[in-house]
Amino acid sequence: MGRKTEITNLLANLPRLGAGLSYRRPFRDELLQRQSEVDFIEIIGDFYLDAPPEKLDELALLMEHFTVIPHFTTLSLGSAEGLEERHLEKIYLLLKRIAAPWWSEHIGYTRAGGINLGHPSPLPFTKEAVETMARNIITARRAIATPLILENVCSPLIWPGAEMTEPAFIAQVLHHSGCGLLLDVTNIHANSTNHGASPAEFIEQLPLERVVQVHFSGAHESKGRLVDSRTQSVPESIWQLLDLAVSRAPVRCICLERDDNLPPLPEMLWEVERARALGRLYKRWN
Amino acid sequence: MELALQQKLVARLATDREFREKFFADPARVAATEGLTVAAETLSTLHHEQMRQFARLLRTRRLAQVALRLPLTRKALGQRFADSFRNYAVNPPAAGQRPSEDAIAFVKHLEAQAAEKGLEPAWALSLARYEAGRLAAEWHNQRLVIRLLPHDVKRLATLMAAGEVPLGDYRRSSLAVWWRPTVASRLKHWLS
Repeated sequence: MGRKTEITNLLANLPRLGAGLSYRRPFRDELLQRQSEVDFIEIIGDFYLDAPPEKLDELALLMEHFTVIPHFTTLSLGSAEGLEERHLEKIYLLLKRIAAPWWSEHIGYTRAGGINLGHPSPLPFTKEAVETMARNIITARRAIATPLILENVCSPLIWPGAEMTEPAFIAQVLHHSGCGLLLDVTNIHANSTNHGASPAEFIEQLPLERVVQVHFSGAHESKGRLVDSRTQSVPESIWQLLDLAVSRAPVRCICLERDDNLPPLPEMLWEVERARALGRLYKRWN
Repeated sequence: MELALQQKLVARLATDREFREKFFADPARVAATEGLTVAAETLSTLHHEQMRQFARLLRTRRLAQVALRLPLTRKALGQRFADSFRNYAVNPPAAGQRPSEDAIAFVKHLEAQAAEKGLEPAWALSLARYEAGRLAAEWHNQRLVIRLLPHDVKRLATLMAAGEVPLGDYRRSSLAVWWRPTVASRLKHWLS
């Protein structure tokens, strides 16, 4: 069996979860009351590293009621300096506690030269960056057996000196690392719109057979640019892109992200239900 | 090796406003003084406006994380919370700094701002110090944290949780105590 087939088979064996949302503390109690309306929740794994007992109690409560998918932002897989072993060990311990079907990080970096960027930032679309990502992912996968999937990032910044397009860069990283893709359609929409490209064409150029999970969220316009702010309801343009992604890729789950300006929970659950219906339409789950 | 230098330069440009303005005025000279000449050659065509927008995006994300940890302070200050944060965030977070540490450092900034120019409403600072105390007790292995605050924090928090806008000065001392008998114990809290 070729390596590509092996990876595709591995990803195809991951469970089909359905539609869910990123967990945020302010709606915890209401979410617990309406748990049948979400198929899973995604947590920001970084918030549970070095966590006090109360935070771990919260995690235990969530695990009791939901399938929990951990999403990380600070491992910095794209750092040319390499990974921090201690950080990797903490993630390992958390994943052991959660026993999730997969975990996710970004195709980007958060740490360089003693500076903490605080948020996954883009890489140059170069062979050196592909090799850096692949090298760090090999280190991570040696430490952690749980399948890792990688998310495309949003950024107004384009590094000069690109040797390939962004979809080709993502494809190369996935190919060399053997990881699945966490496709963020809002990030693609924002990047493509801001840089004068077609988001649909961007999606078509990706290795869609690698998609495991999809993120979607609202965006807003600021000073003539689209910002992936995760503070608004999801506009029709994003729904169309989500439709395209779900129709073309073997997605195992769709996750709504909302960080701030949280609306009443039923509004978000309505968006989750619409995403679930989309998955059913394309027979991604029952 | 080149990527490491480039990442360092981009990280500095994205988080240090003064350095960014100096760099785009004269990239070669500034990069040479920082030992980043190789990176600057490759990045000499970086777009200044894109870098500004990128810096703004990072700051917005950082603000969201801090706001999440100081909900009462944010409600109390409204738009002034973001305005104050903009002044605070001229310096990047330290390497390895967690959002809770960032939030505590921001409250220290608010204290300095209040001492220098005052803060409206005055009770917002008591809420900020209360929330920073809770974060220190929850996240930073401090087994005992005590805060004596000059405003009626309990009443203010109740009103704000009910969606009401507190009117008046709410001057009445509050004593807030958090303690954890052992490292593995659940945090206890008492607020007068």
